[in-house]
Amino acid sequence: MSDLDRAITQLRACRPIPEAQVREVCYKARELLIMEGNVVIVNAPVTICGDIHGQFHDLMELFRVGGDVPETNYLFMGDFVDRGFYSLESFLLLLCLKVRYPDRITLIRGNHESRQITTVYGFYDECMRKYGSANVWRYCCDVFDYLALGALVVGATTQLDLDPTTALSDSTSIRSDEDVEIEIVNEKTQHVSRIRRDNYIHTDSQVLQSSPVTRSSSTPDRNGAPGTSASGSAHGSSTESGAVFCVHGGLSPLVETIDKIRLLDRKQEVPHEGAMCDLLWSDPDEIDGWGLSPRGAGFLFGQDIVKMFNQRNDLSLIARAHQLVMEGFKEMFEARIVTVWSAPNYCYRCGNVASILELFEDGGANGYSRGAVAGATPAQGPDEYKRRPESWERIGPGRRYRVFEAAPQDSRGMPAKKPAADYFL
Amino acid sequence: MTAPSIPNLSSLLRGRGRGRGRGRGRGSSSGPPGFRDDDPIARDRIVQHTDQDAAGSRLSAVNLQYLDDPYAQFFYKDAAPPRRFPIINRGTYVRTAALDQLIARFLASDPSTLHQIISLGAGTDTRPFRLLTQTPRPNLIYHELDFATNTTCKISTIKETPSLLRALTTHMDADALVFGSNGASIESPMYNVHPIDLRTITPTTLPNLPNLDPSAPTLVLSECCLCYLSPTDGSAILTAFTSHLLASAPVGLILYEPVHPNDAFGRTMVSNLASRGIHMQTLQQYEDISAQTARLRAAGLGEVVGGADIEFAWERWVDNAEKDRVGRCEMLDEIEEWVLLARHYCVVWGGRGDVFKSAWGSVEAQQGFEV
Repeated sequence: MSDLDRAITQLRACRPIPEAQVREVCYKARELLIMEGNVVIVNAPVTICGDIHGQFHDLMELFRVGGDVPETNYLFMGDFVDRGFYSLESFLLLLCLKVRYPDRITLIRGNHESRQITTVYGFYDECMRKYGSANVWRYCCDVFDYLALGALVVGATTQLDLDPTTALSDSTSIRSDEDVEIEIVNEKTQHVSRIRRDNYIHTDSQVLQSSPVTRSSSTPDRNGAPGTSASGSAHGSSTESGAVFCVHGGLSPLVETIDKIRLLDRKQEVPHEGAMCDLLWSDPDEIDGWGLSPRGAGFLFGQDIVKMFNQRNDLSLIARAHQLVMEGFKEMFEARIVTVWSAPNYCYRCGNVASILELFEDGGANGYSRGAVAGATPAQGPDEYKRRPESWERIGPGRRYRVFEAAPQDSRGMPAKKPAADYFL
Repeated sequence: MTAPSIPNLSSLLRGRGRGRGRGRGRGSSSGPPGFRDDDPIARDRIVQHTDQDAAGSRLSAVNLQYLDDPYAQFFYKDAAPPRRFPIINRGTYVRTAALDQLIARFLASDPSTLHQIISLGAGTDTRPFRLLTQTPRPNLIYHELDFATNTTCKISTIKETPSLLRALTTHMDADALVFGSNGASIESPMYNVHPIDLRTITPTTLPNLPNLDPSAPTLVLSECCLCYLSPTDGSAILTAFTSHLLASAPVGLILYEPVHPNDAFGRTMVSNLASRGIHMQTLQQYEDISAQTARLRAAGLGEVVGGADIEFAWERWVDNAEKDRVGRCEMLDEIEEWVLLARHYCVVWGGRGDVFKSAWGSVEAQQGFEV
């Protein structure tokens, strides 16, 4: 067993590794990360994760429901550290996995991967407590400066790789030849909801209350099962172009194209303003255009901005993290952007569930289909599920959200999960 | 896709329920060591101990200049300076500022008459020191009621801290301040500390509260106090004051308490607090602002009544310049969590008599809860 594998074993048990080893891992990680562009290209299949925030036990829960590394290909959208009590173990485990399996795990930077923020929100204090000096914190911050700013997932299929072993929990199951756009798997109850691309809702409408208003394809999109050549797509020319842009926060008024992100000099502390700051700090909101952010950094951006950005960059979806959503994920703007949140019972206090987003490989080379044909009939059903009228837009990838809860409080064989959360007493 | 090699932690629990870990907290947040929450004495000690938690939150906010309170430092007993997350600091700020505003309006209403404040479960609250040092001299008599354990502790701090003694005697002679021989009480024309278990107060067993003025306009304060008592004890105390001790006086009540115990955040809060041995007994009964205002009306304090959650108070009661100033104390990144937390605490006020009607008649209550 190599030193690295030993470190991984030790970290999986939530035990810190010696300072000298941290230095070595951080050094190796930097050598790897320096080779990555500001926007990493990631091939589907991939499982996209949001904020972790040092909730180590819940990160283990995430791996349990999503599959382990390297079997599952992961993309973490930042905010590994701060708030939770095991930022160190969580970040170092992810970093060791990155060094050990560089092609199976992608880490991009969140706004908490910063010297300034970690001194306020806990990671600095945690390093001081666990090592008695700031050295480990410094090594980690040096790595933060090398993390990519975003990722582009390519080669995802519009179809879902339906798991035949998960039975739908009610009788209105979707026929196997129907085009399922979204599957929501509740990992606790094993309740599965599926949403067909024509937006008829087949199961448990409660699950959908806060969740997706999907964009529909108005083509009769009857592609064959992934991995087969029975693709119904006649749009071979568009195969490689639709992609999913992953970023921690969101968009920037200074960034109209993804190529612009590629030109940034990212190897620095997160600045207080500018494109790099915005990518890590901004939030989508129900507004027109751009707005001031209540966070004091980044901007708010509306549906029109997302629509334009996706069109200009040939994207079908933006996946981002950064905002707590009680239901674990939230699609907005007719499924043009999704927030994925992966820290259940955030800060041991919020009572929320978490989720991860699975995208599947386009095995049949059918790729993305052009979205529409002229004169398509509008969808039936409630207005909020109405179709997008634009014919130029990409239809979204098939998406499975695995929704999971916090790991239990007293987990045998690991350090106690948490001290008590603060309230006003 | 599930990884079979990773154990499901839920299955390792061996029958132990979620959120039942006891006394696992660290530092100032934990209960006293070795407590058993089925023992009533230990349970009381846990409630008494919540005061150090509040003292720590107060000092944390003061150290970061959210609040200006030179007295907060003396009542926090741990060696290491307390540090709270920004949302807790902001919450402490809004809680304090909201109560300060309601109290200031009360004191400014008919200022020539004597005003009385009775603070239930006052703990190490520094508000009397801040009020009694105001100039011009406030026309005020202040009473604090708490367990003898807590009052003894507070009084010994006062005795050994010259600036606290100076504060109390700003507007009265030093020898007017009379310390009880048991070390648990203070009597004076402006500041009184009464060691009392609030649960012993009922309409038929009225406490002896020296220097209580039975006819002065009186504001009763309960900052996270009555919520620890049973609903029966809580209403008995209110009745004892409104119908007996202060039967002929204008009376107002301000409550600061958590609300919404039944949503996801609230359920987690109840379970987290239970794991520290803390049970807020009235939380279910007064689960939202309208239940709280109804409670005040039922107590005969409905001539002017209103309520606001802490998010509302932040948004509507704090002006923009002050918001900017507070925003600069610390960067607050946790917007969503702030809103969640702040919507789970509220300030409720109600009163009878012209003093309170003129003091609070124009306070902006949260939509839907005005009189």
